[in-house]
Amino acid sequence: MKLFCNAFFIWLVIGLPFTAALAVEPVRIVLEFEPDIDNGRRTFEICARCHLPEAWGNNDGTYPQLAGQHVNVLMKQVLDIRSGKRSSPTMQPFVQQRTIGGYQNLSDVVTYISTLPMNPTHAKGPWSPSSAEYDEGKNIYLQYCASCHGATGEGTNANAYPRLQGQHFAYMQRQARLVRDNLRVVNPAMVTLFKSLSDDELDKVLNYISYLPIPQADLASSENWRNPDFE
Amino acid sequence: MEKHNKFSRRRFLQAGGATLAGSTCMPTVATANQTQQSVPALQRLLRSADVPAAKGARVIVVGGGWSGLTMAKYLKRFNPAFDVLLIDRQSAFVSFPVSNAWLADQVKLDFLSHSFFDAANNHDYHFMQASVLGFDHESRKVYTDRGYVDYDYLVLAPGIEYDYSRIGVEDSEAQNLLFHRYPGGFVTSSELLTIKHKIHEFRRGVFLLNVPNGDYRCAAAPYERACMVAAIFKQQRLRAKILLLDMNPEIKIKKAGFTRAFEKLYGDYIEYLPSSEISGIDVEKRIVETDFEEYNFDDAIIYPPVRASRLIEEAGIANPQSPQKTPDTDPFKYHLPDDERVYVTGDSRSQPFSKGGHTAHSEAQYVAEVIAAHALDKELQWRSPQTMCFSAVDIEPLKAMSIITYYRFNQQSHLFEFDRTHMIEKWDAQGGQASLAWAEGMYRDMFYS
Repeated sequence: MKLFCNAFFIWLVIGLPFTAALAVEPVRIVLEFEPDIDNGRRTFEICARCHLPEAWGNNDGTYPQLAGQHVNVLMKQVLDIRSGKRSSPTMQPFVQQRTIGGYQNLSDVVTYISTLPMNPTHAKGPWSPSSAEYDEGKNIYLQYCASCHGATGEGTNANAYPRLQGQHFAYMQRQARLVRDNLRVVNPAMVTLFKSLSDDELDKVLNYISYLPIPQADLASSENWRNPDFE
Repeated sequence: MEKHNKFSRRRFLQAGGATLAGSTCMPTVATANQTQQSVPALQRLLRSADVPAAKGARVIVVGGGWSGLTMAKYLKRFNPAFDVLLIDRQSAFVSFPVSNAWLADQVKLDFLSHSFFDAANNHDYHFMQASVLGFDHESRKVYTDRGYVDYDYLVLAPGIEYDYSRIGVEDSEAQNLLFHRYPGGFVTSSELLTIKHKIHEFRRGVFLLNVPNGDYRCAAAPYERACMVAAIFKQQRLRAKILLLDMNPEIKIKKAGFTRAFEKLYGDYIEYLPSSEISGIDVEKRIVETDFEEYNFDDAIIYPPVRASRLIEEAGIANPQSPQKTPDTDPFKYHLPDDERVYVTGDSRSQPFSKGGHTAHSEAQYVAEVIAAHALDKELQWRSPQTMCFSAVDIEPLKAMSIITYYRFNQQSHLFEFDRTHMIEKWDAQGGQASLAWAEGMYRDMFYS
């Protein structure tokens, strides 16, 4: 069954040593894989040893919710961690070829993760939807974030804009600060935005995001749901 | 010698401290002064140590194990204004996690060995090789064999020691002999080298291993080690038997997986004997006594029950009622009851978390954040350490199983209990490779990235 056709891009810079002074042309290569979800499930055993079989992350923000995330977003993160572009010393060896396998396995495993039902009780921020802080966060979100991440934080797979719905508040706090302080490299627009916000404003917009509703169909039936593939 | 009058004797090491710091009311004063005069080198203990001047609030981390290394790195990460000094008595780091795979030649010693210099250089802190003797919380000084160092915060992560008295070996000379002849392999790297020689030089007869009781370091390791020794014996087709005396009534962790391994892979080699409380050992005659039996052996690895490092007791902060001589610390913030500048982490901790590298690593990241928050007058919400534990079962290629767990605090019983435990007891090559990836990731985090 063809669930998705995963395509991702690799930019290669080709140049000859003796022409180093000349401008080099970037070459864009598109790789396409037809995901094998059964192999994805088997490969996910490696991930589940730390991320747990539900891939729901931790309320304390030490692990992100991966379940339900877009395939291209997951793939980009895996490739960035694999290459060292995104620093994650403890995860880096797990996503090398020698551990998780080649691109086909990566494609399979991210596809599998994207199909997992999401955590119905992810950790939200401190300001409830009836608070002034929540409204302030909402204004910032609608003004700066919604055009790419979507009105309800649904993101888009095609552009690899992350789905923000359901992400743990503490995880977003940590990542946003890493991006702002140039410790995690993402789209430069994000850095500009985060630098323009105060700590307080940043927390308010992340608070708002943490309350964005997740479509019922994407949620697990209860917080006690356990991934039957790992029973 | 004004400084030493300020010592809180209660917190100063007895062995060195009684002679050096024994102050006003002690009859040793005269002797102490005479000793200091006749052995000039001892005076260096009371001088300031030769370390770079602190450029910010100084945090001293005692112990360069998994807790201390992680602590030093993340203290600096969470508060770059800290001036962090890591002190360890060893000159280099050798990893105990994954060392069982090294015993069976599945990784090289290079994989396990790392330099404290690299860790300090890459994470912008200082390292000093020294033995810590004690500390004084009033003047905020840590005393080492290279002199004292002033601190603003102190983290004690000195790890464990063996408690031979709990296997009926009371006499210190007998303890020492047992430690050198049949080391447990969980505290110093010479023990590991000795054990590797024992395994690879063994030709025939009974090779005895044991599993201690109580909360010993690395719950699965003794069972894993039995598998690795058996794998080597099987590979060499030795006429040998591995006697695994478990002081517990049953296999403590990954029971189904280990039971299957003992039966399916090593049925001809491993004899597993639960509820074998060791009550004495005759080193010369090579006999282990339990309450009901005596077992002769040709060679052995004796892993006694463990206790917190003696440094904790000798510094006067151990609770004498606690079975492992652990300190009474705040269960959520890890500091001494009356002192938010002194913290105890890693396997010397008072909380009942599973002792091992991964627990210490995740705990230290949290405690580093607690200390950084304290310096900024902020509070941090408690978060659970994570325990992750791989166990190698078979070799060529390495095959392993794993467990992960968190902890939660039960408000009714006021005890910590396991939370969200996930076990993969099916061992395979993917698990073996994952166990190496896990270790590599940890070394990267503590030393290089």
